[in-house]
Amino acid sequence: MNMKDRWRFVRRNMKRSKSRIFMTVLATAMGVTFLIVLASVGFGLHKSLAKDILESRSVTQLQIGGMEVDGKYQPITDKEIEELEKKDGMKAVTRRINLQQTPLFQLDQYEGSVQTVMAHFPSEIDAGLELSEGRLPEKENEIIVGHDFVKTLVSSEQQETEDMYGEDGMLKKEFQYDGEVIGKELKMTVMQTVDGEQKEHTIPLIITGITEKPARDWMMDQTVFISDSILKEVEAFTKTARGMITQPDMQGIEEPEGYDEVRGYAHNMEEVSDISEQLKDQGYLVYSAADELKSMDVVFTIAKAGLIFIGTIAIIIASIGIYNTMTMAVTERTPDIGIMKALGAHPKKIKQIFLLESGYIGILGAVVGIAVAYLISFLVNLFLPVIVENAFDEQLPEGFQFSAIPWSLIAISVAICLLVTIVSGLKPAKRATKIDVLKAMRREI
Amino acid sequence: MIKVQSLHQTFLLGKKNNQTELNVLKDISFEVKKGDIAVITGRSGSGKSTLLNLIGGFMKPTHGRIFIDGTEVTSFSEGEFADFRLQHIGFIFQNFQLIPTMTAYENIELPLVLKGVAEKKREELTNQTLGRVGLIDYKNHYPSELSGGQQQRVSIARALVIEPPIILADEPTGSLDSETEKEILDFIQSLNQKYGITFVIITHDNEVASIGHQQIHLHDGEVLKGDIAI
Repeated sequence: MNMKDRWRFVRRNMKRSKSRIFMTVLATAMGVTFLIVLASVGFGLHKSLAKDILESRSVTQLQIGGMEVDGKYQPITDKEIEELEKKDGMKAVTRRINLQQTPLFQLDQYEGSVQTVMAHFPSEIDAGLELSEGRLPEKENEIIVGHDFVKTLVSSEQQETEDMYGEDGMLKKEFQYDGEVIGKELKMTVMQTVDGEQKEHTIPLIITGITEKPARDWMMDQTVFISDSILKEVEAFTKTARGMITQPDMQGIEEPEGYDEVRGYAHNMEEVSDISEQLKDQGYLVYSAADELKSMDVVFTIAKAGLIFIGTIAIIIASIGIYNTMTMAVTERTPDIGIMKALGAHPKKIKQIFLLESGYIGILGAVVGIAVAYLISFLVNLFLPVIVENAFDEQLPEGFQFSAIPWSLIAISVAICLLVTIVSGLKPAKRATKIDVLKAMRREI
Repeated sequence: MIKVQSLHQTFLLGKKNNQTELNVLKDISFEVKKGDIAVITGRSGSGKSTLLNLIGGFMKPTHGRIFIDGTEVTSFSEGEFADFRLQHIGFIFQNFQLIPTMTAYENIELPLVLKGVAEKKREELTNQTLGRVGLIDYKNHYPSELSGGQQQRVSIARALVIEPPIILADEPTGSLDSETEKEILDFIQSLNQKYGITFVIITHDNEVASIGHQQIHLHDGEVLKGDIAI
């Protein structure tokens, strides 16, 4: 008896009790749908959060926060930078120092105060800093500005009113500086208090470039990046480290050392974990997107396994229906089984026919269940963000998915469904093989 | 062709702790030659159906051995006997034992399906057999749409389709009127003569017994007078 004939038998038998088979397939499909939709939430959130991490930070980046030596925090200085740059697989080590005051910047008649950062431009170039316009600084008085720097500048000739700002708190387009930026002179004015008197020092700078737009729509980059020599000029004027403005109560406060922000860049994502491990062993406080992804993967794998387990319970409940359907099928077909055995049907063939039948119910249930799960997943992703945004007044990240159905989830669900349905058909199938030919033909069973 | 040696069959009756033995067959021995029609006769309860069921492999004997075509079948497992039946034995039952949800064609085709014969060959053999039993016009009829005689012809065709050397028949005319009975008996005789098929027929009907080359008369589980050649 070949496979085609077995399938023909199965289909013929199933046609005999259409409504019962329909209800059993429906129950199985509901179980499969429940399993997939439930687990798809885990897959969807995992995917969305992983995407969020990968988009917001470079995956080859390591944030190096300092060192822990004998339980004490130690900032990173040029000595450690040199050591870090020699590490195998390390492409670049960028370092930045934040100016400890917010200077006033003047561009033509426009002015504004923004955060100023000293950056080491050669390492920034190696790390792959991209500019949307212009070039990186080459001379000491050259600087680059953040993508949104000009949005902070207000005309000094105009009286500042609330009407100039939009609902988002940003300066309206018509009040923003709209002239050329690259190659223009930007005056940076820093302050210091000497004997209770406020003194100013203006440094003329040339803007050579503008950084790229941040990856996320809601992020703003208004920073001004200056060179080490400009920082030194500021420090010479303020006579404090990092241009800190002297306050009357500042005595006894230690001046900060080392760099505020150090980032290592590996050649590729695979090397990030190795470098991260090595640095951690040496006492560095390291954090990378790869580490975050790794720990998040573990949490989500456990969560997804849990959701799949709960979903499997639904299929197991549906399998009770399959067991019942198959038991009734065996009882109803006892005389036919008796005749087939009398003619020479091997018990194995009888068993296979019933297992195929329960497997077929499983396949039908899985196919219907998968189709419905895809539909529900689509509707959830379409409507749930709208509902959440309206009900909780929360803006969800762009492209956020509540539910995702990867092929692996489909494969797992089909495998679980087939396994459960075949196992539930095993006992009735075995019963069919034990049927006594003579009793069956006498309709005694 | 069929050799039965010292066959005993005992059934245990009653509940587990209070069982009594019933000796249905006692030391039965006989031989059926190739191409013969052997008729097993006897009154109701004489053990003739049990004997046929033992030869057909539907039950295992308590003692004794059965050889079919030189092969000892009493040591076969259920699966082995099933395979053996598909190759060597056709069955005709008193109440036809046709599957009601299958057409005449499908019922006849069934042993070939079980045997794994290719679809094209199956179609050829089934149609040929339908022609031999004169039911080609009724091939798409379900058993409930056929008369008793036609149903028995389908049953005979189903036994014939695998071209077995032996056909076991359990009261083949028991459910038929005398006219149809004669028709079926003539058909069995013609099959025996044309194709040399060995028949073992159970009956308590003298008309049926009259077509046998050999008669085995059972009385209370014993062969009454040994083999009687007619």
